[in-house]
Amino acid sequence: MNAAIALFLMQDGVINGAIYALLGVTLVLVFTVTRVIFVPQGEFVAWGALTLAAFEAGTTPGTAWLLLALGVVTAIADVLRGEIARTPQALLRAGLRDVVLPALLVGLAVWIAPQKPPLWIAGLLTLALIVPMGPLVYRLAFAPMADASVLALFIAAIGVHFTLTGLGLVFFGAEGFRTTPFIAGVFPIGPLPFKGQSLVVLAVTAILLVGLWLFFERTLLGKALRATAVNRLGARLVGIPTLLTGRIAFALASAIGALSGMLVGSLTTIAYDSGFLIGLKGFVAAIAAGLASYPLTVAAAIAVGILESFSAFFASAFKEVIVFALIIPLLVWRSLAARHTDEEEE
Amino acid sequence: MSAPMLRVENLSAGYGKVEAVRNASLALPQGSIVTVIGANGAGKTTLLNAVMGVIPSRGDVVLEGTPVSALGIEARVGRGLCLVPEKRELFGTMSVEDNLRLGAYRLGGGAIASGLEEVFGRFPRLKERRAQLAGTLSGGERQMLAMGRALMAKPRLLMLDEPSLGLAPRIVKDIFDIIVGLKASGVSILLVEQNARAALQVADHAYVMELGEITLQGPAAELSADPRIIESYLGFGGHAAAPAS
Ligand SMILES: Nc1ncnc2c1ncn2[C@@H]1O[C@H](COP(=O)(O)OP(=O)(O)O)[C@@H](O)[C@H]1O
Ligand SMILES: [Mg+2]
Repeated sequence: MNAAIALFLMQDGVINGAIYALLGVTLVLVFTVTRVIFVPQGEFVAWGALTLAAFEAGTTPGTAWLLLALGVVTAIADVLRGEIARTPQALLRAGLRDVVLPALLVGLAVWIAPQKPPLWIAGLLTLALIVPMGPLVYRLAFAPMADASVLALFIAAIGVHFTLTGLGLVFFGAEGFRTTPFIAGVFPIGPLPFKGQSLVVLAVTAILLVGLWLFFERTLLGKALRATAVNRLGARLVGIPTLLTGRIAFALASAIGALSGMLVGSLTTIAYDSGFLIGLKGFVAAIAAGLASYPLTVAAAIAVGILESFSAFFASAFKEVIVFALIIPLLVWRSLAARHTDEEEE
Repeated sequence: MSAPMLRVENLSAGYGKVEAVRNASLALPQGSIVTVIGANGAGKTTLLNAVMGVIPSRGDVVLEGTPVSALGIEARVGRGLCLVPEKRELFGTMSVEDNLRLGAYRLGGGAIASGLEEVFGRFPRLKERRAQLAGTLSGGERQMLAMGRALMAKPRLLMLDEPSLGLAPRIVKDIFDIIVGLKASGVSILLVEQNARAALQVADHAYVMELGEITLQGPAAELSADPRIIESYLGFGGHAAAPAS
């Protein structure tokens, strides 16, 4: 191995690491705000890539119908549970938001898909279809048990993950797809050639991380999300609706998931179940950072990406093994650290 | 006559099978300070939490003539009800100023600037510490921040759970001065205290809670002179025990 190969592996690792960083940061965000370990994150990644691929192929993605179905089911469940008041006004508002809006998006997708829209329109439409699913999934599966234990929420998250993976198989089949890069071609930067898409990944990641930072540090809503994470009861006592902050956290999660999917879609082949492995690497990074620190998560994610690309070079058969084997020592280390702080809190 | 600020009717609440509050009823006239005194474990915190909607309860809670029993915490805050809880529940890893800003979450915008000015006026100490993390404040400062954060929501009824708990006597005096000042500016106050002497001095009306039930009530001045209260809650030699003739 020479310096050029090492540099190349580093580049590859950093780019994958950037995606893991986005997913890891999202996991931390969702966990701190809602205490849900967001296992289904990967499904949104896969659906982002596959929905974009469907538009490129000129077919209506199944996720459009799924959005409509999810909206209808969630609205009915929320009415039955009394989450949506049974007044004409509230029902009308819920109907518009949960049924009419998704139906319009389905209509748009059905109409636009055969015309093979330009990439940026397909990308926006993909986001419009996938992002609302985050809050819908939250309302359907997690909000009713928002005060349950972390373990119960985790088990629910695993259930949601398997359900969504199964739905992904129904809608997209088992075949893998690749999307066109947002920027084609290769650009030499210093000694290294960079794929256009790689540059897009790095730029989008940087913009999103800065945007998230601004959101959490500078806006009242962002601070309200942090406050919910720091002290749930305190947040409720100042009138922050914690179910709303949960929905926002899940909307950010589905948005970042779908965006990550569209970004990796041209770098690697994505099938209905590929998201889980990608998300799991973000999870390794998030765990390494104790599900608490954003900057540490980003650093750990880049490290995971680099470790992965070097192990792919030296021992490609063991690539995943090496990365995931990291979880065990990390958890041991974290649980030792955590026990220490728990005792202090008692 | 306008409706009382708060009316609680046959309120019962508890944890699992244990009923910590049974059939409590009380009324709080507009603009007054009402105190609930009682020993540790009497059910005072449970009562406040039930009124706020933090824990489920049976019975009626009526705020300015409107029943609020079916509303969640957030909606009650929206109607002008605020609780400063026994454990303060601050946002420890956020700055003093951010804690205060979040207090005005429901009002937003201009209410934040005017609220900060008012709170910093009442608690100059908080202004000095505005950039400090809430988790690093002293006990008295934490209580001031908890009260300041609640005031940011411009409450009509402020419920204080043991505001003097664990504080040095000098700071307790400051806190009670501020409570009197709040009443003067039109905020109604429901004050829960183990420190019966201090509470009875500032309150208009008082309720005594024992083993989850309200056993005695009356104007604060009258209760201060009641031999049962003097014996159980004020001890000997206090000024409330001055010769009753
Ligand atoms: N979270 C809880 N779970 C079970 N029992 C509780 C809980 N909180 C309080 N209690 C019990 O309820 C009773 C009343 O408590 P509390 O309302 O805190 O009293 P006070 O505020 O007057 O000291 C006590 O017997 C206490 O042990
Ligand atoms: Mg108490």
